[in-house]
Order: sequence, then C-alpha cells, then structure tokens
Amino acid sequence: MTHKQQKERAQERRNTLFFAPMAVLAVLLVALPLIYVLGMSLTANDGSGFTLANYKALLRADYLLVFANSLKLAFYTTAVSLLIGYPFGYCMARAPRGWKSLLMMLVIIPFWTSALVRIFGWKILLQGNGLINTVLKSLGLIDKSIKFLGSYGSVLLAMVYCMISFMILPCHSAVDKMDFTLVEASRDLGAKPWRAFLDVTLPLTLPGIMAGCVLVFVPSVGIFYLSDIMGGGLVLVGNLIRDQLLKVRDWHTGSAMSVLLVVLTAGIYLIYRRCGGDDLGVM
Amino acid sequence: MKKLICLLLMLACLFTCAIAETVNAKDEAVLNIFTWEGYIDYSTVIEPFEKETGIKVNYATFASNEEMFEKLSAVNGGEYDIILASDYILNAAREAGLMQKFDASVVTNFGNLNPDFTSKFFDPANEYVVPYVSGIPLIVYDPAVVEIEIDGFEDLWDPSLKDTLGLIDDARVTIGMVLLSMGQSMNTTDEAVLAEAAKKLEALKENIHVLEYENLHNYVVSGDIGAAYTFTPFVALALDANPDLKVVWPKEGLGFGIDGLFIPVNAPHAGNANRFLEYMLRPEVAAVCAEWQYYCTPNAAALDVIGDWYTARSEFMGIFDRMNDAEFVLNLPAADEQKFQDIWTTFKLGL
Repeated sequence: MTHKQQKERAQERRNTLFFAPMAVLAVLLVALPLIYVLGMSLTANDGSGFTLANYKALLRADYLLVFANSLKLAFYTTAVSLLIGYPFGYCMARAPRGWKSLLMMLVIIPFWTSALVRIFGWKILLQGNGLINTVLKSLGLIDKSIKFLGSYGSVLLAMVYCMISFMILPCHSAVDKMDFTLVEASRDLGAKPWRAFLDVTLPLTLPGIMAGCVLVFVPSVGIFYLSDIMGGGLVLVGNLIRDQLLKVRDWHTGSAMSVLLVVLTAGIYLIYRRCGGDDLGVM
Repeated sequence: MKKLICLLLMLACLFTCAIAETVNAKDEAVLNIFTWEGYIDYSTVIEPFEKETGIKVNYATFASNEEMFEKLSAVNGGEYDIILASDYILNAAREAGLMQKFDASVVTNFGNLNPDFTSKFFDPANEYVVPYVSGIPLIVYDPAVVEIEIDGFEDLWDPSLKDTLGLIDDARVTIGMVLLSMGQSMNTTDEAVLAEAAKKLEALKENIHVLEYENLHNYVVSGDIGAAYTFTPFVALALDANPDLKVVWPKEGLGFGIDGLFIPVNAPHAGNANRFLEYMLRPEVAAVCAEWQYYCTPNAAALDVIGDWYTARSEFMGIFDRMNDAEFVLNLPAADEQKFQDIWTTFKLGL
C-alpha cells in the first residue's frame, strides 16, 4: 500500500466518523418512526397479530376519491405555481443586481412570518366586507359582494401562496446558472425570441422546472389545513388520516393510510429521478 | 486534565440537582394544567391563584380533546395535575381509568354547582369531574340577508337559504343536528335512521356555503353567509359585532356540552390540584371564567355575583328554560363512530 493510499484510507475513516452521528439521528428520527407506522398498519386493532385487513379497509370508492381529491389539488397548485413562479424566477435571475436582491428579499421575507398568520391575512382581505370586495364595489365593478371564501379558488390561492417559493427558487437558480450566450447565438442565427426560448432556454432550465414541480407537488398532496382555514370543506388525505387517528381512534387503519401516502410520495420522487431529475439534495 | 475535572464536577452537580428535584416533586409548589390555549385566563384566574397559594402554575395546551386523550394515555395518566376538556372525552378518560377522584374534604364547595349540570354521564356520582363551563350550539342569522323567519332546524332546508349557511365541520355535531330535526337522538346508531339522516343531510347541500369547526361568526358578520349553526361563544361574538343579528333556540331540540376539570390518575401534584378545584368553584372565580370565556356557567352561586350584562344575554341564560331538551353528544364505540364519519366523508366529497 502506498503512502497516498494509506492517507486516503485514513481520510475515509474520518469521514465515516463524521457521518456516524447523522446516520444515528436519521435512523432514530426517520427510519424508526416509519417502521413503527408500518408495523402498526400491519397489525390488527384487537392486537391479534399480523393482518392485511387495514389495507383492505382502504379499498373503498370514497377513499379513492379522497386520494384523487388531494392529487387534483396538488396538480392545480403545481400548475399555477409554475405559471407564476417560472416567469418570476426568470425575471429575478435576469434583473439588474439591485433589483435581484430586492426580489429575493420579497420571496424570502414571508418565510419569517408564520404561514398561519399570512393565510388569516388573506382571509380578511377576501371576506364579504373585506378590502377586495370593498374596492371592487367602490369601483362599481360589482354590486353584491363576491363570496370568495369557501370556494375552491380560495383554497387554491392559499395553496399557491404557501408553496410558490419552492417553485421560484429552483427556477431562478436554473436560469441564473444558464449560459445566456447560447440564447444570443440562437438569436444571431435568426431565431425569433419565442423560438429561442422554446429551443434553448426551456430545455436548459428544465431541471429547475422539474425540481420545482416536485418540491411543490409532494408537500401539496399532504397539506390539508389550508382547505380547512379557507372554509373549503374539502376532504383531503390529511383530513382522512387525522380523523381516523383522532376521531375514530383507529390507529391501525390510520397508519395504513399514512403508509399509502408515503408510498405515493416516494413513487412520485422515483419517477422524477427516472426522468433524470436532480437529487434535490435529499438523496 | 483540569478541564476534565471541571467537567466531571459540573456533571456531578447536575446529577445531584436532578436527584433533589425528584425528591422534591412530591410536595413542590407546582401545578401542571393541560387544556386549550387561552381557556383559563392568566391575569384574572391563574395569577390570583398563584399569589394566594404560592403554587407555580404551568399551562400546557392541546389543540383537540382527542389529542389530549392520546397524550394522557401515553404518559399513563401522569405528568399533568389538572386537565380541562369536553364531556364525551371526559367519559372516555374515566372509562379508561385515567382519572382519580377529587378530595371532597378539600373541594368543599362542589355544592355551588347547579344540580342540572352535575351527575351527568361522564361522572354519574360526582366523584371525578368539576364542571367549568357549558355551551349549546345555536343558530344565529342576519335578518338583513335571510328572508324567512328561522325558529328551528327544519327552516335551514328552506330553498331561499341557497348558498347562505355555515355549519360546524364535525360529523357528530352536524349529523346530530340533522337527527334532532328528525326528532331522533343525536346518539342513535340505528342504521336505518342514520341512512335517512344521510339522505336529509344530502338535501341540505345546496344551502351550505361553508363548513368550519370554529369562528363561523366571522362569516356571518362579514356577510359571507346569512346564517350559522355554531357554538355559544361564537354566537355571542357575532352579536357583539352586530347586535341586529337574531339568535334561535331551535324548537326541535338542543345539543349540549359541558367542559370540566379533572385530576389524572397519576397526577404528580394531586394535593395542589384539589386546592385548584376548590378555587375554581368559588362564585367570584367561576363568574370571571364564564364572563371571559363567553360560555354558560354551571355554577349557580356565580350567577349572584356575575355582571348584569351577562345575565341580560339570552345566549348565556336561555339554557335554564330548555334544560330538558338538551342532549349530549356521547362517545361511541369505534365501529359506531365510523358510521358517522363515513356519512360525513361521503357528504363532504359530494359538496
């Protein structure tokens, strides 16, 4: 063994040492609880041992509809976030330096305030005698208040509002990293602006778009409190799991639902990786 | 080496402190309360108690009765000294053996309570629970928006109320309301009756604008909805904001709830907890609690010292005329609870 190889070995050993505490934490805080939930979902409510009954109990048309509801809401949230977040991230990356930091602040600052407080702010703006209705009325655009709250649109607004930063930031960094001389080259070769965008910018920033979509879509499937706060009255997977755990107090069926949600989420992530997605710094 | 000795000394100190702490725990002047955020006021109720007794009160909070039950089960009825929660979960906690009897020789003023609010299903022999406040969900509506006169649940199905109702987002409360409108018990588990209730609930769909557990009064005040079926404090808050609103004591029957205090079976400071129960039953303390929490008081003696503004308000006092119409939502076995949840899920999916 050469001296260099020995040195490398020692370095590796040191690295393992540094890595060990993290691994222990990951096992304790992530793996063990998940295994516990999995075990719970595979045992009977009366303590009689292994069973698949909890999963069979999930094969109901209305439960499938609940999962479909969550996926639908997550899909719309992602689509709207992309439509707004990509142009925003693009402009942010192309803006002059002073503007850039200002825009970045605008994206980051809301993170410092509780999401709950900000959503209640939206509620006050949107209510029957709120600012938006008052302005619309005084402009003569409407004569009866619009009932924003309780509508699907208000839930979607709250979702997009809470999730959009996760779309803006990856899109911004993708555009920021992009070599704009390539766009200039395509323009020099006679491409129209939209053509240059579709053929050069879009493919080059696709990894950012995909990362943003995953970062928005995955948490959106699980979020349910926003619909509750906005009066949406939707039944989402989160509501179903909470009610199963706390109201019916059947932890075993509730665990089976949770496992299904984790599998669904992992599935989305795997598809994303298969399509060549970045590791998002998590794997 | 010096550093190591210092470190060891420090650890030794900490260790002795920890031992001293556990020795002291039995008679230390501490009381651990576990209830909803803001449900016992600090400056008017807890602080005077601390000053009077020298007992330091720790206030921990839960978001829902169910969360409390899970946490209390997990610590095997220990850790907390006083828990304040709702009737049906009190019953579940008593049945699960999570309560201990209060000491009647310390809690000498239990007799201040109105007998209409004691000997209830959650504590038939009055050994465990001290009722704190009581509430009845009522209908509150804005006559400027609603064209008809509402005097009972049945009116909520009126076609003129299209898209103007706010109901409580809770299977048991709202299906219970439908059952009351049919002249049935809120706690029926009869499949045929429940199927009929599900059908009747379905017919209410067109009229519902919003489902939310709390704070429905905001929607009535802002004009988003014309009528709400909601809990006592929210009815009172709606009237505070708009005195022209009308309150309805539904003629078909009433839901009814009592929130009560109890001592968990393995409470670390049970002695202090008993003193706290005695304190909470005093007329002037109970009066302050009812005024602060905007609920009906089960404490008869408190009504003598409570503010006139309070006794003038029907949403707090009306219960005394309708005591016999009031029905509790009882805790049911999981299989029966599931029936209500299934109806509710199906209903909400179709909204």
